Amino acid sequence: MGLRPLADLVTIGHRASNSIYVRGLGFHAIQRELIRLLSAGVSGARGSNGDSLAANGRRVQDMSVVARNNVRVRGTGEKAMVFAHGFGCDQNMWRFVEPAFAEDFKTVLFDHVGAGGSDLKAYDKSKYATLAGYADDVVEIGRELGMKDAVFVGHSVSSMIGALAVQKAPGMFGKLVMVGPSARYMDDDGYVGGFSEQQIEELLQFLDSNHMGWSAQMAPAIMGNPDRPELGEELTNSFCRTDPEIAKAFARVTFKSDNRADLAKVDIPTLILQCSEDIIAAKEVGEFVHRGIPGSEFIILEATGHCPNLSAPDEVIAAMKTFV
Amino acid sequence: MPQFERSRRSDRRHEDVRLSGAVDSPRIDDFEDMFDNAPCGYVTLLTNGRIARVNRTLLGWTGHTSDQMIGKPLSGFLNMAGRIYYETHIAPLLRMQGFFDGFAIDMVTASGEHLQMIASATDGRDAGGKTLFTRIALIKAVDRRLYERGLLEARDMAATGLARERENSELREQFIAVLGHDLRNPLASISAGARILGRDATTEKQHQILAMLETTVMRMAGLIDNVLDFARGRLGGGIVLARNANAPVEQMLHQVIDELRLSSPGRQIEAVYAIDAPVNCDRIRIGQLVSNLVGNALSHGATNEPVRVRAVTEDGLFKLSVANGGEPIPEAAMEKLFEPFFRGEVRASRQGLGLGLHIASQIAKAHEGSLNVTSTAEETRFTFVMPLR
Repeated sequence: MGLRPLADLVTIGHRASNSIYVRGLGFHAIQRELIRLLSAGVSGARGSNGDSLAANGRRVQDMSVVARNNVRVRGTGEKAMVFAHGFGCDQNMWRFVEPAFAEDFKTVLFDHVGAGGSDLKAYDKSKYATLAGYADDVVEIGRELGMKDAVFVGHSVSSMIGALAVQKAPGMFGKLVMVGPSARYMDDDGYVGGFSEQQIEELLQFLDSNHMGWSAQMAPAIMGNPDRPELGEELTNSFCRTDPEIAKAFARVTFKSDNRADLAKVDIPTLILQCSEDIIAAKEVGEFVHRGIPGSEFIILEATGHCPNLSAPDEVIAAMKTFV
Repeated sequence: MPQFERSRRSDRRHEDVRLSGAVDSPRIDDFEDMFDNAPCGYVTLLTNGRIARVNRTLLGWTGHTSDQMIGKPLSGFLNMAGRIYYETHIAPLLRMQGFFDGFAIDMVTASGEHLQMIASATDGRDAGGKTLFTRIALIKAVDRRLYERGLLEARDMAATGLARERENSELREQFIAVLGHDLRNPLASISAGARILGRDATTEKQHQILAMLETTVMRMAGLIDNVLDFARGRLGGGIVLARNANAPVEQMLHQVIDELRLSSPGRQIEAVYAIDAPVNCDRIRIGQLVSNLVGNALSHGATNEPVRVRAVTEDGLFKLSVANGGEPIPEAAMEKLFEPFFRGEVRASRQGLGLGLHIASQIAKAHEGSLNVTSTAEETRFTFVMPLR
């Protein structure tokens, strides 16, 4: 392209962008639609809920555990290995790690209610106000799939959800892998978690500024205009996208949780994978978990950040293979 | 090729721009300058999250020096919320899809202030898909973020207010439903009592009083039915129909009109029927509609003129009209006629709740029909039309 006046390249009211549609609808119409969608259960807007196809091809009923948690069973092994994602994204967090175990295990992936492809209608404020509510779901998944002596792999907050599930259902899990665990994120008397209460409040407010395109997704749903090509692009952020209210609630329960007293009750072999330079779960925090769980193994990975399952899958796989 | 020609020309123009510049002025083709002084901040991260390059614009905005930033983790220059968000959302999404466009992030300046930004990030990857580095472009968005914040607050406030209003109105409607229901029982007792007394009534005056009692009970029962239907409709139940195409409509109309005649002595109700096809309707509901329309005509129409009812089947439609003489309905009232609780000027003894026409229009709607009104100095006419089917 040679030199052309910039104005030539700018079209007025760029191809039916969301904002134009929304403006055309008018505020009250949008508000009405939102109320309709909300009262019908937010999930109506997401499309793929209700009954979904389980991995084994069996159509599962609405509100079954499998549909509720978008459970996917893969792998050819006998023993089950369950992968649980943390706050932020969904089961895709395990996409580079899970395949490495599919030959030796029956690998099980799922989304916590409120995340990914889970059934948002199943989101119950009071149930999910504590990590125990999430742990109950894990146990229900385990029962549904008849798990015994399985391996539970939890990332971030799901490490503690795993610790609770282990207590709730003795015999269901035989080994526990914690990736970047923290028994408590907030500082406390004589305990360094890394965050102050004010910082967590700041996070909750900040999450409002990053809606991950949630409302942009709602707008086309309202318009019932699925043949817009831009939508394909919007699906890309879907790994980490959810209802902002649920995201905030999950952030709150995650960062305000205190599971220090639960560590000693973990009575199965446990592997803790600690990242170098992880600001969410610092080394001291990981060491605290290690000291708290009797006989646990503690490995410091070279990987930095909070998501070694994505940034350094090979290191994570290698450490896990020697443990399981 | 014209395209080629144009590009050659533009190249020349390009050179002209460069040549015209003084020695120290920025040059249009100086990419180092473009990086450093771009109207947005640039930062390049290594896979360990540490800063490899940062442009002058971003240094200027944040007040940090390049020595302070290069080699340090980016998270050290974000506020805590931004750090958590980066680790839990941005970094994973970058690994999964290679880019993340248009996220909000707050940097902390050298003086400790928060700088609100909008950023987009792209991973640089090798042929095998391995991430080598991450490039992030940042734009100052203080005003925009403030505006967003304001919108969010307004939205939350609207949502809270709306929820409160809905709760209130639901409570009110539940109250109406319960009240309406509870009023039925004492009314049934009065009606039963009047009937028992009627057996022993001897004088003309006693019979008159008892007839008046029956009339009042019927009118009140009608009001209660309307109230209950209204409350049910608002509570989401809607008007439920029990349609039957085989049941005769005319007989039901006779009965309703006769009752109304009895309850309005001294008034004339003329009825014309030409029903020669089955009407697939809920007879009780259509009876209620007629009763409401005629009741309205009796209340508002001229007392010295008859109320004229006409019910016909023609052109695949069931048409029913109720007309009365008297003052026409004022223009302003026409619009609100079918709204609940709308009451026109009427003498106190005939004052209702203002639900009669509303319920009638709801019954019409439930039958996929319509209820319309015309009002002139000659007559006021309500016309109900529904498909026979």
